[in-house]
Amino acid sequence: MAAINAADHGAKVAIMEKSHTERSGAAGTGNDHFWFYDPEIHAGRGWTIPDMVRDISFDGEYGKTKEGLMDQGLLEIVAEGTKEAVDNLESWGVKFRYNEIYPWNLQYDAPEGEKRYRIVPQFQSEWDTLNYDGRDIKKRLTEQCLKRGVEIYNRVSGTGLLTSEGRVVGATGVHMRTGEFHVFEAKAVIMATGMDQTRLFRAQSGNWFNSQSPPYITGDGEAMALRAGAEVFILQAGKTRNAGFQYFRNLSRSSGTATTCYPAGRFVNSEGETVIRHPAVREPLRKCRENVEQSIREGKTPFYLDWTDATEEEIRYAEWSYGNEGLCWVILEIIKDLGLDFRRDAFELELEPTGRLTGGFLALFIDTDCRTSVPGLYACSPVQFAGEVAAPTYVVLGWRSGKKAAEYAMEAAESPLDEGQVKSEAARVTASLKEEEGHPWQEVNTELNNIMEEYKGYVAGWSLPGEKAEISRTGLENCIAQLEKLKEYKMRAGDPHELVRCNEVINLIDIGIMMVKAALEPEQYEGGFWFLGRLVEGEPEFRKTPIVIKYPSKEEA
Amino acid sequence: MPPVFNEKCTACFKCVEICPCDVLREGDGKPEVAYPEECWHCGSCMMDCPADAVRLELPIWMRPVTKRVK
Repeated sequence: MAAINAADHGAKVAIMEKSHTERSGAAGTGNDHFWFYDPEIHAGRGWTIPDMVRDISFDGEYGKTKEGLMDQGLLEIVAEGTKEAVDNLESWGVKFRYNEIYPWNLQYDAPEGEKRYRIVPQFQSEWDTLNYDGRDIKKRLTEQCLKRGVEIYNRVSGTGLLTSEGRVVGATGVHMRTGEFHVFEAKAVIMATGMDQTRLFRAQSGNWFNSQSPPYITGDGEAMALRAGAEVFILQAGKTRNAGFQYFRNLSRSSGTATTCYPAGRFVNSEGETVIRHPAVREPLRKCRENVEQSIREGKTPFYLDWTDATEEEIRYAEWSYGNEGLCWVILEIIKDLGLDFRRDAFELELEPTGRLTGGFLALFIDTDCRTSVPGLYACSPVQFAGEVAAPTYVVLGWRSGKKAAEYAMEAAESPLDEGQVKSEAARVTASLKEEEGHPWQEVNTELNNIMEEYKGYVAGWSLPGEKAEISRTGLENCIAQLEKLKEYKMRAGDPHELVRCNEVINLIDIGIMMVKAALEPEQYEGGFWFLGRLVEGEPEFRKTPIVIKYPSKEEA
Repeated sequence: MPPVFNEKCTACFKCVEICPCDVLREGDGKPEVAYPEECWHCGSCMMDCPADAVRLELPIWMRPVTKRVK
């Protein structure tokens, strides 16, 4: 979206893509749900954009879990831009409207003969999420880029930002199959690298590549921006309060427990008693945890996702959703090959232990024009907290960042690249390929996970949920010392593919160091659990007090 | 280890082109899984195969655990 709109605003655009634009990222194999606001539908129901933003970040069932700690300014921009985004995607061949609307979709008036959106409830108090044919959304976006003459460099992994007098003037990357080092001269750069630093913490499944988020989203863009001095947002590690579900047992895929199986699925305990009627939002998981916990106390485990009581029409709808959601189309194929069927078989769910320590993440901090603190550097993903409504955030902020970056680029002065900076970056990012001896990336990544698991305990506490523990300064300082030592180990790459994996691990270590150092800031910790900081001459500098953006509740407003 | 290519493969190498995790390479007459441990099992190779020549073979420890109800 960023590239398309930048091109539409007159910029010459190039995309560096570590994977392949047709299937990259969390939506690479699809997206079936999209949070949106249509005044023609929602205004008549007394639902406004501020209501929508307040609900997801503060007042609603989901919002209550966020305690207002979402960037409402950005969310409001996202909500306002969703209808235009849907209209654009529709004009590019993504199907959003249908003749068949079902009882479990929002029923609303539409002009006679016009197809309608399939609107479902999700995590909000109002019906404001579209189900749609999003399986090939990345292909449609790629087509639009090519139509506008955008140059796409697939398999080129971004490695660094080139700067001159404090502003970004280009970027570098390395090709994952040839090892070729790429240099891009650019008046503006947009980071659109996706949420999560997937291999920073130990994988919940025990395997990095059995994950819900793409295992190759490793914070490369965030580390590039960090090294260029951009201010970043850090969410510290936390602790889950209650028992619940995450995935199918063994298979860490999207939506075993999310709303993709709406309206067919229900959660049952080992006795077949319904714990949660169906995983749609009007019965959010958090609200039903009492039922889950009671079954656990009574020994009625394990739990299952059970569609077997659903009607054939409900099952067909849910299968259509699976066919369009990321990582879910393949589930349908896998269960067919294994001789399974949602009509006959219940799928065991992985039970999340109470008080499980969860990792944090680092994102770029942007203003409402998608500008980072470094001139010439823009971002649409990952950015502070707005990623909670991931798909619309990336689509809308992508669109907006493209326009803003293009406008900036049109006005920015030419600035020649610093050859010394380019050479130094080339040497840094190809070093692992030239080493005759060194550790494989997996070995260093494993030790990184070990250190970051310790960090989680030191910052979130080893105590039971609900009991607050002090952070361990000594423990955190030990973590920093270990991370800095880990960074000194040489890694050896056997080929360009492994070289990129080595660089990913280096990026993850840089992010880990920043995250642990943030945890040592007591003023920040007392204020909550998120931090703004940047590197100044290699050392982090944090804002004295955390910035808390709290939208007033409806009563206060 | 996944993916598995059958006799319908025409060696067009679309799967090699789009594999998100970069685990596939052009082999002798059919694609090769160069980095089997890094397969995300996302199914992109199956989705985009024009010859229906790819299936995913999940390792045992990734297979869902189920109970026959009906």
